[in-house]
Amino acid sequence: MDALSGLLSGFSIALQPINVGLALGGVGVGTFVGMLPGIGPINAIAILIPVIFAAGMPPESALILLVGIYYGSQYGNSISTILLNVPGTASAVVTAIDGHAMTRDGRSGPALAISAIASFVGGTLSIFGLVLFAPLLAAWAIRFGPAEYFALMIFAFSALSSFAGGSLVRALASTGFGLWLATVGLDPNSAIPRYTFGQLQLLDGMDFVVVTIGLFAVSEVFQLLEETDRGQEAAAAIGRVAVSTKELALTGWTMLRGSVLGFLVGVLPGAGGTIASFLAYSTEERMAGRSGRFGQGDIRGVAAPESANNAAANGALIPLLTLGVPGSGTTAVLLGALLGLGVTPGPLLLEEQPDLFWGLAASMYVGNAFLLLLNLPLVGVFVKALQVPRWILIPSVAALAFVAVYAVNGSAFDLVLMTAFGAVGYLMRIFGFPLAPVVLGLVLGPLMEKNLRRAMALSGGEWGVLFDSPIAITLWAMAAASLLVPTLLRRWTRELVETTPEEGL
Amino acid sequence: MTEPPGDAVTTPTGTGPASTDDGDASRAAGAGPSGSGADRLVGGALLVGGIATGLEATTFDVAFLTDPVGPKALPLFVAVTLALAGASMLARPREGVGLPPRSAAIRMAGAAGAFLIYAAVLPWIGFYLATTLVVAALAVLYRGPAKGGLAAGLVLTTVLWLLFVILLALPLPVGELWTR
Repeated sequence: MDALSGLLSGFSIALQPINVGLALGGVGVGTFVGMLPGIGPINAIAILIPVIFAAGMPPESALILLVGIYYGSQYGNSISTILLNVPGTASAVVTAIDGHAMTRDGRSGPALAISAIASFVGGTLSIFGLVLFAPLLAAWAIRFGPAEYFALMIFAFSALSSFAGGSLVRALASTGFGLWLATVGLDPNSAIPRYTFGQLQLLDGMDFVVVTIGLFAVSEVFQLLEETDRGQEAAAAIGRVAVSTKELALTGWTMLRGSVLGFLVGVLPGAGGTIASFLAYSTEERMAGRSGRFGQGDIRGVAAPESANNAAANGALIPLLTLGVPGSGTTAVLLGALLGLGVTPGPLLLEEQPDLFWGLAASMYVGNAFLLLLNLPLVGVFVKALQVPRWILIPSVAALAFVAVYAVNGSAFDLVLMTAFGAVGYLMRIFGFPLAPVVLGLVLGPLMEKNLRRAMALSGGEWGVLFDSPIAITLWAMAAASLLVPTLLRRWTRELVETTPEEGL
Repeated sequence: MTEPPGDAVTTPTGTGPASTDDGDASRAAGAGPSGSGADRLVGGALLVGGIATGLEATTFDVAFLTDPVGPKALPLFVAVTLALAGASMLARPREGVGLPPRSAAIRMAGAAGAFLIYAAVLPWIGFYLATTLVVAALAVLYRGPAKGGLAAGLVLTTVLWLLFVILLALPLPVGELWTR
């Protein structure tokens, strides 16, 4: 009942012309950037943040736009995955298997259509989950004290490090690097400078927009230079973007199962779309048994991961909004944006700013409907963008990144920092360090330190306070399990490990 | 002005001179996949960086503590994490890190140089000229035609001007050279 009335009030916000426009703009930009190499959701969001701040957009509108990009890019990413077999993020790797196989069979039309429909199903069902579960989690989290928050953040770090793909040691080093960056600048409690190297510009600390754009966008500009020696792939011609009712009937349950699974996995920090799409795919493959043609262009092999990763993306918004603790690089950037807009996500958000939460949820229905309606007829237009030569596309992306970074403080020093982080990000990529934990560490680090110091101040310096409540102990246990379980799982199943290093889920 | 790019990854503290060059050295020397040497260098740099981070953290003394933990705790925790990760990489380095081929590495260095020059001249020659030039330079590095790159730069700069200055009323630096 509550959720229903909340949603109704949310629609009164989401249906305001400006917000409809922003939802449409968000999913449009999201589809576009999700498809192109070099940008991806995390960069698109980071690049837009200074613009949004400068434009003085109200928080609910800003959030509608940013989240539109966030879930729109999930779909855009599938377009290039299906047509060109170049999964831009790890969560699309599974889609590539059957999606590209369908393209080779000349069935790219149905593949794109089912991807749009599955994304829509996963997206809309998970918004349902969002409005049902977020209030419950918020009501529970209201009892969290600083010690519980500290433990929760440790869990977020350990889970992301553990699921980031590749080596746990390197992921932990990435997290440590991010936390170190968070300490740069004046310590808020004692006002002593930490790791500023005597640079006045560093007293204010590292801006997450500068770091994110450097690590992700600029390093991608470097990385793609390496690939220019290879030719640019041409996208195959697309047939009619539609599915038959038979195909729809075949994939109906697949999409439902994928959505539920994806949502549940998405709520957990760290796991996100990659794990969700792998699990959904392997579940369907097993259930189909001999009747399936998985790996050779089975349409269910597209429907399953597509519904799962969209549902997971929305599920990941729950811990962000109700606990204020993101579980991925991209949601960490969203948290940074919210904090910059003067919104502190957490259990009180629903009570104190119901318009923000319900308006966002309602706008996600609007945005997902736009995605489906626009993409079925317009996918051919979007694909044209894949034909723009790299030498125009990448420098343009770089110039956008420069403007955004410069707009943060109006300082050229930030451009130097950005370049440095670009080089760092490139080296991290080739040496197998995941980038997302750096952003999470940078954004969450100050909050983690604040909660630690608050908990210790309350206890008078007694460290036992961190393990004093059942909730805290549970969270510590979950943190430990998230580090140990995947390592053990890897011993048994080689499959899950074979993910490419993730790029900001 | 600041430390060379590539410093922060290997030595988050930037205090260890031995490790400052690691990133750049391995990149410049890199041609094709390497053995475990490059990975060992990174591990060593992390170890040294972690130790330096920890040493620096011990100097964060405040006259009277406002809270029992103080400004040292998180940096020390970070220092231990980095040092342990570095030590573990040293012990078990990874083979065959995909270092870029020499020609790509040179073009990457060119791009980084172009970005730094851009940052240096931006306040001076202004956003419009600097951005047009940096887009053209990048286009050439991406093996595009020089004239086409210049044209792309002009078009893009115009679009950005329309977007930021006209639509959003966000001023972009015009350049001291022209306003003086």
